Amino acid sequence: MSTNIIEVSDLRKTYPPDIEAVRGVSFSVAPGEFFGFLGPNGAGKTTTINMMVNLVKPTSGHIAIDGFEFKRDSNEIYKRVGFAMQEIGLDETSTAREMLELHGRLYHLPSARIKSQVEKLLKLVELEKVADRFTATYSGGMRRRFDLALSLMHEPKILFLDEPTQGLDPHARQLIWNHLRELNQAGMTIFLTTHFMEEAEALCNRLAIMDKGQIVTEGTVDKLLNKHEAKNLEEVFLKTTGSNLGEEEVNLNAADPYARR
Amino acid sequence: MSTFFSDWYYLSIRSIKQIWRPLLALIPSLFIPIFFFLVNSASLNAFSKVPGFPPDITYRDFIAPTALFTAVFFSAGNAGIELVQDISNGYFKKLMIMPINRLTIILGRLTEVAVQAVMQGAIVLVLLLIVGVRFQTGVLGLVALFAMLILFAMAWSCVSMISALRTQNARLVQSMFVIVFPFLYLTTSQAPMQLLPPTFRLIATYNPVTYIIEGVRALVLSNWSNPAIWQGFAVAGVLFGVMVSLTVGSFQKALK
Repeated sequence: MSTNIIEVSDLRKTYPPDIEAVRGVSFSVAPGEFFGFLGPNGAGKTTTINMMVNLVKPTSGHIAIDGFEFKRDSNEIYKRVGFAMQEIGLDETSTAREMLELHGRLYHLPSARIKSQVEKLLKLVELEKVADRFTATYSGGMRRRFDLALSLMHEPKILFLDEPTQGLDPHARQLIWNHLRELNQAGMTIFLTTHFMEEAEALCNRLAIMDKGQIVTEGTVDKLLNKHEAKNLEEVFLKTTGSNLGEEEVNLNAADPYARR
Repeated sequence: MSTFFSDWYYLSIRSIKQIWRPLLALIPSLFIPIFFFLVNSASLNAFSKVPGFPPDITYRDFIAPTALFTAVFFSAGNAGIELVQDISNGYFKKLMIMPINRLTIILGRLTEVAVQAVMQGAIVLVLLLIVGVRFQTGVLGLVALFAMLILFAMAWSCVSMISALRTQNARLVQSMFVIVFPFLYLTTSQAPMQLLPPTFRLIATYNPVTYIIEGVRALVLSNWSNPAIWQGFAVAGVLFGVMVSLTVGSFQKALK
């Protein structure tokens, strides 16, 4: 029996006709770890994280979340994971309070817990004053913070974050970092994909760097700096991927079945 | 099983709130049937004197069922538009990773369609009563009439939901609105079958909407012995069964 809360082995995803988005990825995450998943755009990070929450079906490979597998126990996994996606999916015809309450209902929480969670989370992300406004009226930063609150509504054991601070100003980014540190210190396992090296360095205990659908290096920040004889994480990134930060590559996620327009 | 019904209930409540958010969105699907009813009943009243037109019925009474039907017809496509909006903005993904029975997402939308059909139908019904239209089959007939409209509205909403699930393209789903017109006008909605030109009559005979309109018309103008009532229910029931099955199929395909 594995003690890891996330186990991924030889995970592959090929989109028709033959786009290999993920090519044999294996890693594990221990309970309470803050794990960073880095890589240039189009590296396969989002496809990997989408497979880990069952939004994309793997072509092959194995995923276990807290000992459960999607084939048999998908609902057990859904109860244990929260996911703040790269695209902030909000119902713009609802208020923040309504959305949080609905999520509480759909995660089958008792009414009293829903009430206390709603107040706690609105306070956490500093949106108490606008909780009864439609989410369509929120700024980008408010939407990101609220999306984080939504993913925490059912108090998941594992939080998946896909580029959670993209497009945020430094103040909003710092605010989210502080929340994430607090959540991790309270015991939550966090799996973060980002292409901000500064973010990964500030938050993560351990990192994996992905490029062209494969993990090219993995370890703690110190271990990676030593291994690649680099001064900082950015240098490690450049040495392992050969990419300039922010460089646009073929977006393999275009094949995401929910991403079409 | 208990969570199945609670999930359905809460997703339905969410969908139902979208009917009047924003309130102005209700206007087009009410304006069109009311406008056509008022204009046509005033301007085409003499049509009821044409030989072959059912005796003892004014043109206003003849097209009153069409107004009721149109109010429901025009709004039933909203379910697909809202579904494709959920897909486009990413909210659909959030629902996909919740511990819910995914079928309740579709059932919530169908419940919204049923509620909207009742709401819009009731508004047009009040207008018809105000202008003097009388319902020959009484209160029970009204219940049957709304049941038929709800069945049809849910079946028709599946057309837009299927296109939402298959194309995931908001513009395309919105443009599906135009197919309402041939389905509505190539029927007996404006004139009785015997007054339609032969080609038109042939198309109307094979257009399932004809049977719904005739069923509603029989409930308004006729009595319970009119076979158009059960024919209307049969067509609405079959359409409901087929379209909901196809929608569930498209939904399951979209999840793969």
